[in-house]
Amino acid sequence: MKTKIINSVLVVSFFALLFYGCSTYKEITSKSGAQLWGENCVRCHNAPSPSAFSDTEWETIAQHMRVRANLNSTQVNKIVDFLKMAN
Amino acid sequence: MNQKIIFIFLLAFLFYLTSQTVVPGQSKDEIDALKKEIMKTKPGTSTFLLRGYAHSGLEIMDDNSSFVGGSFNPIFLWRQSSKLLFESELELELEDGETVIGLEYANMSYFLNDYITLRLGKFLIPFGTFGERLHPRWINRLPSNPLGYSHDEQVGPSSQVGIEIRGAIPVLTGYGINYSIYLVNGPNLNDGSIEPEEAGKLHYDNFLDNNKNKAIGGRIGFLPLSDATLEIGFSGQFGKVGNTGSQYEDVSAKLYAFDLSYVKMIKELKSIIDLKGQLNIVEVDNAEYVTGDDPNGMYSFDNVSKAYYGQISLKPAFVKNEILNHLEFVGRYSKLLLPSKAAWGGEKTQLTFGINYWIDWRTVVKFGYQTITVDSNPGLPVTNSFLLHWSIGF
Ligand code: HEC
Repeated sequence: MKTKIINSVLVVSFFALLFYGCSTYKEITSKSGAQLWGENCVRCHNAPSPSAFSDTEWETIAQHMRVRANLNSTQVNKIVDFLKMAN
Repeated sequence: MNQKIIFIFLLAFLFYLTSQTVVPGQSKDEIDALKKEIMKTKPGTSTFLLRGYAHSGLEIMDDNSSFVGGSFNPIFLWRQSSKLLFESELELELEDGETVIGLEYANMSYFLNDYITLRLGKFLIPFGTFGERLHPRWINRLPSNPLGYSHDEQVGPSSQVGIEIRGAIPVLTGYGINYSIYLVNGPNLNDGSIEPEEAGKLHYDNFLDNNKNKAIGGRIGFLPLSDATLEIGFSGQFGKVGNTGSQYEDVSAKLYAFDLSYVKMIKELKSIIDLKGQLNIVEVDNAEYVTGDDPNGMYSFDNVSKAYYGQISLKPAFVKNEILNHLEFVGRYSKLLLPSKAAWGGEKTQLTFGINYWIDWRTVVKFGYQTITVDSNPGLPVTNSFLLHWSIGF
């Protein structure tokens, strides 16, 4: 009985966390490209300045970083749009 | 009537003007030529990018000094389409007076969907983060690697041939999780038959497998905060390591890693603080090895190796002073624990302090002071060294 209660509490909190996760994820995807760039591109190395590369170069680099840093396309596309606009 | 004629005349004149949108001082021919020129540089759907980095340095130890490195790593990227990328890196370096060319990685990635990317080829293994994310000379905040994280005395895999799926999933809180699951040849066991002093050691450059068994591994990373400042990762790799047909056929290795990264701008200090750490554990099943001096003598030992490090750096990037805002201050503690009963065993501690001067975001001059203590042999003197390295990315 006791383990059943513990198990159901665990299952419920897992799903609660999952749904909470989904809602905070929405917050993340609604962030601007500039903010996503500022938060993500400093995690491993210094953040590159948008003016460092041309539009086509950014597209290739973004794909490279999408794989390396396990980013998803919504985040990467927003960051690329920002980099292209600000370079 | 007159008004009508004037109106039609004005309309015709206006039409003439708007159809001749010639910028003053430029003829239509010139603009057409310019348009043609621009079209020439219009990229196709497949684009190629050549990038990379180079590095060299000067190392002064207690009793000698040497210019080191002189390595050059070109990186080739082909973006075939919005779904397909090929990446490759070569390492050209000087080793014992000779130029050595190494293939760091060469693989293609295919984006199956937003959450799954398929990779095939030779890739950097996501075992912790140092090997995959932090080892390039312009990323590593110090002129040296932590103990156990470079080719000599390596504890944990770096690059392997195989297949991988990876991606990010928006579950749990913050930025969610990122994952990688892969199948590679895995390391092989040195059984000591040729080099008895290496018996029980794993070799990670196993590009043609020594057995049928493939190593399976993966990493899961959690980014629990909504500003992506913190990442915690767990990695594992499991597989048989002995040669097929030998008495070591069933010897397996279990490899684990735990990593942590925290990067945040501290407003009060006008600085970026960067914490990094990793622990690697390599457990090889116990086996009997031949002793060096007596071909009939066998011995066995607890074959567990560990290597860990913790690093902190502070970069006052937002202060006004033009010199200070290019500087970075770094400290790192690293420890290597190899099985005490193995011929290659022992315990070492490395302490490194550094000051970096960043010329741009990926060009840096690094000054470091490092001590290495052999804890397992207190009779040996501590090695002190001054390291001066420079690296440039392009
Ligand atoms: C998970 C760590 C990580 C994150 C996050 C990351 N990078 Fe990188 N980045 C790397 C590594 C590692 C390399 C070096 C690649 C190599 O040498 O194999 C690199 C290289 C680069 C380069 C050099 C050119 C190239 O493609 O090699 C650029 C430009 C770059 N990153 C931009 C970015 C941008 C923009 C972002 C934000 C979207 C970003 N990075 C986020 C790890 C990361």
